[in-house]
Amino acid sequence: MSTFAQSQANETFVLNLGPQHPATHGVLRVKLTMDGEYIVEAEPVLGYIHRMHEKMGENRTWAQFLPNTGRIDYLHALAYNHGYVSVVERAASIEVPERAEYLRVITAELNRVSSHLLWFGAFILDLGGFSPLLYAFDDREHILDLLESVTGSRLTYCYFRFGGVYNDIDDNFVTGTRAFIKRLRGRMPMYHNLVTKNIILMKRLQEVGPISAEMCRKYGATGPVCRGSGINFDVRKHEPYSVYPEFDFEVPVYEQGDSMARYMVRMDEMEQSLRIVEQALDKLPEGPVMAEKVPKILKPAKGDYYHAVETARGSFGVRVISDGSNTPYRLKLRSPTFSNLSLFGEACRGMLLPDVLALMGSLDLVIPEIDR
Amino acid sequence: MNCAAIKEKLTVIGVEMVSEAEYARKGFALDVQVAPHLLVAAVSVLDAEGFFIEAITGVDWLGEQAALRKEAEAKVAAEAKAQPEAEAAAGEAPPLVSQPAEQGEIPEDALEVVYDFNHYEGLCRVTIRARLPRSKPEIATISSIYPGANWHERETHDFFGIIFVGHPYLVPLLLPEDADFHPLLKDFRS
Amino acid sequence: MGTQNIQPAIVQFAQLDKLLALGRANSLWPMTFGLACCAIEMMATGASRFDLARFGAEVFRPSPRQCDVMIVAGTISKKMAPAVETLYDQMPEPKWVIAMGNCAISGGPFVFEGQYGIVEGADKLFPVDVFIPGCPPRPEALIEGILELEEKVTGSRRWPRVEVG
Repeated sequence: MSTFAQSQANETFVLNLGPQHPATHGVLRVKLTMDGEYIVEAEPVLGYIHRMHEKMGENRTWAQFLPNTGRIDYLHALAYNHGYVSVVERAASIEVPERAEYLRVITAELNRVSSHLLWFGAFILDLGGFSPLLYAFDDREHILDLLESVTGSRLTYCYFRFGGVYNDIDDNFVTGTRAFIKRLRGRMPMYHNLVTKNIILMKRLQEVGPISAEMCRKYGATGPVCRGSGINFDVRKHEPYSVYPEFDFEVPVYEQGDSMARYMVRMDEMEQSLRIVEQALDKLPEGPVMAEKVPKILKPAKGDYYHAVETARGSFGVRVISDGSNTPYRLKLRSPTFSNLSLFGEACRGMLLPDVLALMGSLDLVIPEIDR
Repeated sequence: MNCAAIKEKLTVIGVEMVSEAEYARKGFALDVQVAPHLLVAAVSVLDAEGFFIEAITGVDWLGEQAALRKEAEAKVAAEAKAQPEAEAAAGEAPPLVSQPAEQGEIPEDALEVVYDFNHYEGLCRVTIRARLPRSKPEIATISSIYPGANWHERETHDFFGIIFVGHPYLVPLLLPEDADFHPLLKDFRS
Repeated sequence: MGTQNIQPAIVQFAQLDKLLALGRANSLWPMTFGLACCAIEMMATGASRFDLARFGAEVFRPSPRQCDVMIVAGTISKKMAPAVETLYDQMPEPKWVIAMGNCAISGGPFVFEGQYGIVEGADKLFPVDVFIPGCPPRPEALIEGILELEEKVTGSRRWPRVEVG
């Protein structure tokens, strides 16, 4: 750092990263003020994919907004479905059958694994390794096949409905999922041997981009970012929703706060998600998948409601304000990556440019979810 | 860390109202209504208790006062007609606005700023609300306490035009750099 | 710039042009340029299962100056529009554009009365050669779109058409 401090008097220059850059995972733009290879200041510029979700919420009926939730964060769309249907069910006092909640958990957890797999591939790609992406996509396609068979789409799901889910699973799904769990468990050691224990990866990630627990708190970071900094915070445990209390799973927490810790949190989370899916398949109760008395035109009682869910990227909260009509009066989406990225400017001060890309990748950014 | 202690501490600094919301029904535990000048004090209390910031947003209550006036007038008329139980079926109208409307001009509508705080350890989501006059929506920034509030405030400024006094860099975040409109205001037309 | 007419060459080499077109069509270089959800399907198309390399279009280039096809994969917001136009202008001729997904075709699900943030279709900014509907389109659809573009370049289809049914 001392050499860095001495060189302050030198000329700095501005480097524009994005909005079209492969490492920004979409259309994030970062204005970097550089001193040689070192970052003096980094200012993310957002809004390049602002899609007006909150405005749309006020323009459509409660049910019409549902497909939007699959497009806020397309990598873990089902968790966003879950957050929105849960808050509306809370507002309109709709009871959900148990089987439907199990199906929600099974599909959302599979979706979480697919999100982490994609992140894994893309992250290593950012760091310069191409082949892990191909392995990760191979596994991911198996999940997409399974999810497609129940939800009908590959990516932007709209599977959950107010009061349940719209389609029941069949035996093929159950056997397919069990086979996939076995398959991925067999592949994880390969991933660890191929990537995690790779000396190049270790050098690129260890002690790079440290984020302290206090910094997480001040910026409101959640998800793997805060769990990589030693904070044991997972909405599934913290304010349990759906049927998560029924399952035995752990929340991986690493103390180091560097990029490697965040990497390890996500790798461990995949195994935990598989555990949840396995238990849910074992315990899956019989019954309907849709509540019987869901009004066709929803008019939740006046008031202000909040619901948070744990997505692959952190705590996603929806606040809806109902004025008793058939459209939301106000719909606020609290997206986790927005907060996670807001600490980026402080975290990367004084870092080397290639390390900044490692840090950015380890935050697992999905830009449309930040801009909403 | 428990919610009752936080409630106590917030009451001490003189916020307008702290009520315990029914968590299972609402999704948050404490509902705090605060006068704009006490916001920073209230947020400092939460900061000292180790809360983290979840989100900041706004709500535009355009037309609320006119609707309340109408409701109140209807109520008076109904009471005059038939004495027995004039129970407002509306349920939980905020106490601020349930005052009987006096004759004269309709009071100005409010822009509300909503702050959400949560704690990593205990389950206690605190929602702080501050109501600002629609013609002069100004409130102190809390970005000096929570640097994370910086972006949330910029976003709220984008959407509602609320000015956070003392904010270091209040330029559009999600809208284009030269945007001069505030799309989430209820009277916004593109 | 996007709408300017390119003058045909004064001296025409019919057979050579055909040969060049054949070469271009069978080694399209798309740009690594994702905007939103469709970009993930574009990645999936290039990755292991769908393997765009089978059709000679797998060389995704991050720089527009090395590309000849731009796949507009996602919503173009008004803030992003100038950047997208710049990217298009930076690509060397001859160049083609594929509008992938409903957002790039017409604004898709994000069009509503009073919308303030998006461009309603990539063809508002520059000419588009192939439109691929879907939200998002499946990887197979993107492959079909690329075959369609090949057909447009050479005038004949290299691969048999898959019959529906």
